[in-house]
Amino acid sequence: MRRYLRVLALVAILGLVAAACGGDDAGPGQTGPGVTGETGPTGEIQPGGTLELALLGDVSAAFDPQKEYYSVTWGMYRCCLLRTLLSYTGKPTEEGGSELQPDIATALPEISSDGLTYTFTLKSGIRYAPPFEDVEVTAQDIVRALEREADPDASVNGYSFYYSIIEGFDEFGAGEADSIAGVSTPDDHTLVVELTSPSGYLPHLFSMPATAPIPPDDPSERLGAAEGHTKDYGRFLVATGPYMFAGSENLDFSLPAKDQTPVAGYEPGQSIQFVRNPSYDPATDGLRPAYVDGMNISIGGDNNDLYNKVLAGEVDLVMDGIVPPQVLRQYSTDPTLQQYLHIYFSDAVRYLSFNLAMPPFDDVHVRKAVNLALDKAGMRTLRGGESVGEIAGHIMVDSLENDLLRDYDPYATPNDAGDIEAAKAEMAQSAYDSDGDGVCDDPVCENVLAVTDEADPYPDQAALIQQNLEPLGITLDVKSFERTTMYAKCNDPGSQVPFCLAPGWGKDFPDGYTFADPLFGSAAIFPSCCNYSLVGASPELLQEHGYEVTEVPSVDEEIAAANALTGEARFQGWADLDQLLMEEVVPWVPYLFDNNVDVTSQRIVNYSFDQFAGVQALDHFAIHPDAQ
Amino acid sequence: MGRYLIRRALFLVLVLFIVSLVTFLIFVKLPAADPARRAVGRATTPENVENARRAFGLDKPIYVQYARFAKGLIPWPGLFLNEDVYYSYSNFVPVKEEIFRRLPVTVALAVGASIIWVLIGIPIGIVSAVRRRSIADRAAMVFALFGVSAPVFWLAYLFLYLFWFKLDWAPSSGIPIGVSVLEAVAQGRFIMPWLVLALAFAAFYARMVRGNLIETMGEDYIRTARAKGLSERRVIYRHGLRAALTPVVTMFGLDLAGLLGGVFITETVFNLPGIGQYAVRSIFLNDFPSVMGVTIFGAFFIALGTLLVDVAYAFLDPRVRYT
Repeated sequence: MRRYLRVLALVAILGLVAAACGGDDAGPGQTGPGVTGETGPTGEIQPGGTLELALLGDVSAAFDPQKEYYSVTWGMYRCCLLRTLLSYTGKPTEEGGSELQPDIATALPEISSDGLTYTFTLKSGIRYAPPFEDVEVTAQDIVRALEREADPDASVNGYSFYYSIIEGFDEFGAGEADSIAGVSTPDDHTLVVELTSPSGYLPHLFSMPATAPIPPDDPSERLGAAEGHTKDYGRFLVATGPYMFAGSENLDFSLPAKDQTPVAGYEPGQSIQFVRNPSYDPATDGLRPAYVDGMNISIGGDNNDLYNKVLAGEVDLVMDGIVPPQVLRQYSTDPTLQQYLHIYFSDAVRYLSFNLAMPPFDDVHVRKAVNLALDKAGMRTLRGGESVGEIAGHIMVDSLENDLLRDYDPYATPNDAGDIEAAKAEMAQSAYDSDGDGVCDDPVCENVLAVTDEADPYPDQAALIQQNLEPLGITLDVKSFERTTMYAKCNDPGSQVPFCLAPGWGKDFPDGYTFADPLFGSAAIFPSCCNYSLVGASPELLQEHGYEVTEVPSVDEEIAAANALTGEARFQGWADLDQLLMEEVVPWVPYLFDNNVDVTSQRIVNYSFDQFAGVQALDHFAIHPDAQ
Repeated sequence: MGRYLIRRALFLVLVLFIVSLVTFLIFVKLPAADPARRAVGRATTPENVENARRAFGLDKPIYVQYARFAKGLIPWPGLFLNEDVYYSYSNFVPVKEEIFRRLPVTVALAVGASIIWVLIGIPIGIVSAVRRRSIADRAAMVFALFGVSAPVFWLAYLFLYLFWFKLDWAPSSGIPIGVSVLEAVAQGRFIMPWLVLALAFAAFYARMVRGNLIETMGEDYIRTARAKGLSERRVIYRHGLRAALTPVVTMFGLDLAGLLGGVFITETVFNLPGIGQYAVRSIFLNDFPSVMGVTIFGAFFIALGTLLVDVAYAFLDPRVRYT
């Protein structure tokens, strides 16, 4: 009896294993029309069809443009829903995707000689989606968006701080003025913006979705269609792009706001549906091909399961997923799938951050030694290998510096594996190495508190870092935390964390300012964010938080100087700052410029990467004619 | 019975307040990210964080914050899970709207699974009890062992990979856009989630029915029934099973009520947009109002389920009377 049962169990197990492991086919789905190579991803493009997409997590603020601070949503705004005065082509940097282009504006703004006044001219004939299909976009609609952005309740979770450079913006938001003094509309198609100080990144601010026009409604309602929707305008969003939410035509703004029914095409946490905007005139827009007729986006699910759906052809793309290693391997090695693997720079950097006020990292030689010791190639391997990114030799991503520092790495080591001898030579110059043997002999190098993320692969990376630093006499006391808590500890100077092992940073828009000021400006120190290194911290602030160090380097002047520049000089200004930071301040060990890795289904015959948002450019996607 | 019901209803309200208070204290006292800091973007200013804190009511004293949430526990139109307080910190969507929109999915999942586990578990338990030590009994106990041992998430992934991805015997996960819950059930999209969820319960119920029935079949009145000449089938099903199933009914009510509060793992793995999936997302986002709303909703169903089961018990077992 017992033997019989054992055999039965064994047969059952073997049967399951055989079924699970059998066959090399991707799954039960079709082999797509492009898989045989007859038409590859750049084959014939025929408009039509509906994209089937997936999102692991919902958007961050229910599509409210004054609140959404999430790259995936920004990608959907740019490609599909919202036009702004300026925008981008939805292409990678090497194809001009980081360069500002006129969208609602006829051209880039005119800038006064003192850099304080920007004048935009709007195109005529751009209309809103239903139910405002008869309403033309005017300059006042942009002002309406700015006023809503200034409202602290409407823009909570957003990025209103960028717009403080507009004169009167903060005063209006504080209720101290009836309008934003620095914004005027001489006529329906002219917008004049006056700044408090020269800021070369101003045009970029008008590519951000917070400045997308809001249509007027009742003349008594200052915020137009957004009136009464302080929390939830996104669910009543009026589009200007080639697509709109399904069911937008049924929005009824004649009702009081609390009685209006949200648009059917967005069910929070469940699904998003885009359909073509009948009011959209492609003749007014040279940026968005908008090949497909619609997009169905499901929200939720398991990462691995969703990528199985891509392989099976049920889903065309997982918009916010991480390609599982086995899927990446399959796409990389299968000649029929390689064309559906898309890897581009995401314009994000991963780094280790020193606290310049905490020993032993208050010594620049120690910081330089760590830069030389780190096995960056090993760090990348732990994240998934070469496909996940390029070794970083400096701080700002290359697109923000126009590739001026493409080959610059002041701490380059053979095979990027770290060079302990060079590191020791640097350490020998440190005050913490009294005998000059390249090994720290001061107690401050023992059990240095290091904070990291508890999620994979950071614990493994922390172990590698520990291994790299031990020959220098630096031992770490690694503490792991949930991500948000980790960042909070790194950001709070009161926590006195010497070493932060797991931060990452990506641009908000394609300008070096989005790296320089929030990461190294003194105003970005706690309770602001995210100058974890305390670059530019004042002696008073250091004393307030109990530091013995009384002085740290500052780059505030260099940031302000670079920020005042425009054009090519601006790129050089950021590159000069980058070199200064890497060679003299050394607040970080940058180790990886992240890639964005996408795999698409075999239905997709055209893929593009939106360098602005750092995600796929859905307006460039096309579906094979046989699969439509 | 009337006084008993009133007492139990008041007790239910007390339970909800205690649960809400404990949940509130967990969020306030345990180390976790500041909800306001978490909600604002990564690059922010102190003013932004303070705006968020004020918008969420987090700038008020703790007792005031709790009082605002407690008001939402009162089952009265306009008060229960009111939108002034119970909205998501992450996307500002009202919690009540999310819960009731997702409830049909959770109900379909829970009810379907419960029918299956009853249809599987009870017959297996009966056969196993009646034919003790037979091959059927041993097979049933192996099934029970597997069912209670196999983690739900593991089973879910295995089912998806095997029956959908490899064999194409079942539809993939999720409910397509535009498809209602009933249509999804008709399309068979709930079969795998039902089976995965039911397996553990069926195994447990099989063991419970087996044990109860074996014990019941040893009672004197069963011997009397046999001595009276009743058929074995009548003895088992008319006399033995009724007593053996009484505790099963209790468990069934509690289990079903508990599932109606959210089937966390199954909904998440199978991407079913139910309350469980919402709860998981809210927990990961440290979205307190959503977590509070789901917790209260789940506690309500469990407390209500307990009450209904106790009342049903009085009808099943004439020896039980409530005053």
